[in-house]
Amino acid sequence: MELELKNISVTLSNKEILKSINLKVENGEFISLLGPSGCGKSTMLKTIAGIINQHEGSVILGGNIIDNIPPYKRKTVIVFQDFRLFPHMTVAENIGFPLKILGVNKNKCRERAIELLKKVKLVGYENRRVHEMSGGQIQRVALARAIAAEPTVLLLDEPFSSLDTNLRKDMRELVLELQKEYKITTILVTHDKEEALIMSDKIAFMYNGQIEQYTTPKNIFNNPANTIVADYFLEGTYIDGEIMDNRFLSELFNIDVNKNNGKYKCLIRPLAVRPFKSHVGEFLVINKIYQGDNYLLKLNSTIKDLTLESIVPDFTDIMEGDKVNVEIVKDKLIFIPM
Amino acid sequence: MKSTNSNKLLKIFLYITLFTILAPMAILILWIFVGRWPWPNLLPATYSLRAIKEIFAPYSNVFSILFSSILLSLSVAILSAIIATITARALVLYDFIGKTVIEFLTIAPILVPGAVFAMGIHIVFIKLSLADTVLGVIIIHLIYTLPYTINIMKDLTESVGKQMEVQAYVLGASPLKSFIYITFPLLTPGIMASISMAYITSFSQYFITLLIGGGTVKSFNVLMVPFIAKGDRSLSSAYALVFIISTLLVFLIIDKIIKKLPYQDNKEEI
Repeated sequence: MELELKNISVTLSNKEILKSINLKVENGEFISLLGPSGCGKSTMLKTIAGIINQHEGSVILGGNIIDNIPPYKRKTVIVFQDFRLFPHMTVAENIGFPLKILGVNKNKCRERAIELLKKVKLVGYENRRVHEMSGGQIQRVALARAIAAEPTVLLLDEPFSSLDTNLRKDMRELVLELQKEYKITTILVTHDKEEALIMSDKIAFMYNGQIEQYTTPKNIFNNPANTIVADYFLEGTYIDGEIMDNRFLSELFNIDVNKNNGKYKCLIRPLAVRPFKSHVGEFLVINKIYQGDNYLLKLNSTIKDLTLESIVPDFTDIMEGDKVNVEIVKDKLIFIPM
Repeated sequence: MKSTNSNKLLKIFLYITLFTILAPMAILILWIFVGRWPWPNLLPATYSLRAIKEIFAPYSNVFSILFSSILLSLSVAILSAIIATITARALVLYDFIGKTVIEFLTIAPILVPGAVFAMGIHIVFIKLSLADTVLGVIIIHLIYTLPYTINIMKDLTESVGKQMEVQAYVLGASPLKSFIYITFPLLTPGIMASISMAYITSFSQYFITLLIGGGTVKSFNVLMVPFIAKGDRSLSSAYALVFIISTLLVFLIIDKIIKKLPYQDNKEEI
């Protein structure tokens, strides 16, 4: 179901956690709330679910204002970070719980639970106890239970953060698969930019109780609205400059760009810097860090007070201490208005 | 080496504990059958079945009073557990004005000496015409047991928290259903512990039962204590044995009920 937040403000113990948030999620969309811890993203999730009440603004679900509807009637199901399976129930009872409270009979609950266990690839686990399962399995059960509740909006609160890297990849795929299959409008809260970029149709970047930018992953990565958003995705070096008549002028380089006139910060991310060996090089390689597939080079300018980073393939012949010159890849530069 | 040493120590400790419980028990049972046991004889001089006959005699009413006493204490225990569950929930999960005062008041009844406290309550109960009634006795026992039960429930309520309940809400369960299906089962170990604690506290009360009940409400203790005070050791021992066996039976039944409940799991999950 489509979800809209209008001017939502939340104050908890005299601290303003959310500041007039506006957000619109289309039916069946998968969006991520991305941001550092403490930015208010979990609070936003709880506000949508009705566990926390907003002081201003409205939550609109499927065209209806739901501000006065209690959490248990909203069907906005949260999968919490700690999964919260009911310890006194078996796996099947856990998954069947949302149906049981609707008055569905026992056998039907169990049937549906077994069916959903198949979906989350845990066939034969229906009689297990929660403490007999691993973290990944517990998460699958939590997911199945959420789907059993037939959510209007599925809210995932950092669900992958407690899993190890390999498991995380499987779980992301499973979540996306189920989200597509059941066409569930989903909001994922995460502080992992990679996760947000991989999974979402749109990313809402939150900082300090506000949404800084809300757009597609590609757009937010390539055209960050400000330095906070830009730095969160990938840090680099900033060069101050000015654009005049479609030309960016700075003390490091001048380059043609298609932007409005004005003062800009140019962000040079590692992939925008291509070093090559040169005896009269302007830069000195002060550090070479192995990163698996590639190397991260730290380059110090010998003339100006400037440090650049660059990512080079692992077969590079550039060594620490070498003198290099750099070529700037124009397409990879990011211009942020000041 | 270290572990075997501490094992030995543990065993010694266990045997000493066992001895301090079992030895008096053995002597207690022996005393039931004593006719005469003059000092300094190691064993009784004569044996008799007087105490047994006395207890089973129809005029002594021992067993009817025992059952009504058990019923009274069970009512107190169950009421106490219910009130404690609700109170603990209010104190742990909600914020309200005067919370610290109420929190302090929940332990007040065990801070004030029992006799002083009971005298005061007695006057109030006379005014409310609750003195000499079963209801009065139940209320005074409740006041006595609540500090224990509330504290047991407070700890558990704190550790169970609200997380599971909130999860139930967002899955569509109303607050009432969440409590019935989720919170209550998670609290049952504490509720059962509260019932046991309140039962034994209530069942062992003598003075306040006598004072508030005024002799019209007869509990097993009200029946037993005069024999102890009189120094009739055989009869006292017989009563004491009935006391112990009945309490053990009640606890056994409570334990059976706990075991029948859905499996409880308090392991931390990741």
